Amino acid sequence: MAYSEKVIDHYENPRNVGSLDKNDPQVATGMVGAPACGDVMKLQLKITDEGIIEDAKFKTYGCGSAIASSSLVTEWVKGKSIEEAAEIKNTAIAEELALPPVKIHCSILAEDAIKAALEDYQSKQDS
Amino acid sequence: MNYFQLFGLEEKFNLDTERLAQVYQKLQRSVHPDRFAHASSQEQMLAVQKSSMINDAYQSLKNPLKRAEYMLTLRGTEMPNEQASFKDNMFLMRQMELREMLAEVKFADDIDAAIFEATQVLEIEFEGLFKTMQTQLADNTEEANQLASDNLRKLKFYQKLHLELDRLEDFLFET
Repeated sequence: MAYSEKVIDHYENPRNVGSLDKNDPQVATGMVGAPACGDVMKLQLKITDEGIIEDAKFKTYGCGSAIASSSLVTEWVKGKSIEEAAEIKNTAIAEELALPPVKIHCSILAEDAIKAALEDYQSKQDS
Repeated sequence: MNYFQLFGLEEKFNLDTERLAQVYQKLQRSVHPDRFAHASSQEQMLAVQKSSMINDAYQSLKNPLKRAEYMLTLRGTEMPNEQASFKDNMFLMRQMELREMLAEVKFADDIDAAIFEATQVLEIEFEGLFKTMQTQLADNTEEANQLASDNLRKLKFYQKLHLELDRLEDFLFET
């Protein structure tokens, strides 16, 4: 299968790979997996008291499209408010990376990772 | 007629795979094109369709994870969408660790030992989940079936890890 240039670029030069301290109260962690392909994705966001995402890191084990989707998402969320980040839709990710239909689930996984991270942030705020 | 009935087998997860293979051969012989050489084209077509159905049935029953999935479908257990994201944090953390373990294998001083160890770890965890699912399938209550379906999804992650390990092994021994 032919990957788009953007997917290859993110795959070969992934942005923001790594981890943030998950015990930091400002750090939110989202973990998601896809049983169909066995992909696992971890997205971490560092969120300021004003609710702005100042840093984002990811670690993904999966195919090129899954890595590219999470890499792209870390670029997109930086500098955004949590409300704006929550608006990011998988369709926008899929469109940006020109994902073929069989790889749409990779963009869904990335969207779900943002949601999972924001849920984690919320539960950290509440506790 | 469901696949178990087609093979004349009891609807149980622990089935006799040798017998399954024997019945498969017998059923396939009964619809073999040679037997229909002089039959009408309609009969020939039916035999081909039947043969393909027998094959589907065999594939679904032979592989334990596919068999579990088929049984849960027969029981009307709601199977989560394959594409839907899985969010069991503890489980996913462990999956990350296991992926990291596989990524480390190629840097090990003794690669053979590292592969052996990784295989052991994966097998033990797979077996643990598999046995639990086996018990849940035997229980066959609505709740047990739901739990079995969750475990089946987890087992698929392990199936993927096994494939990764095989690929890694091929790669390391080729170079």
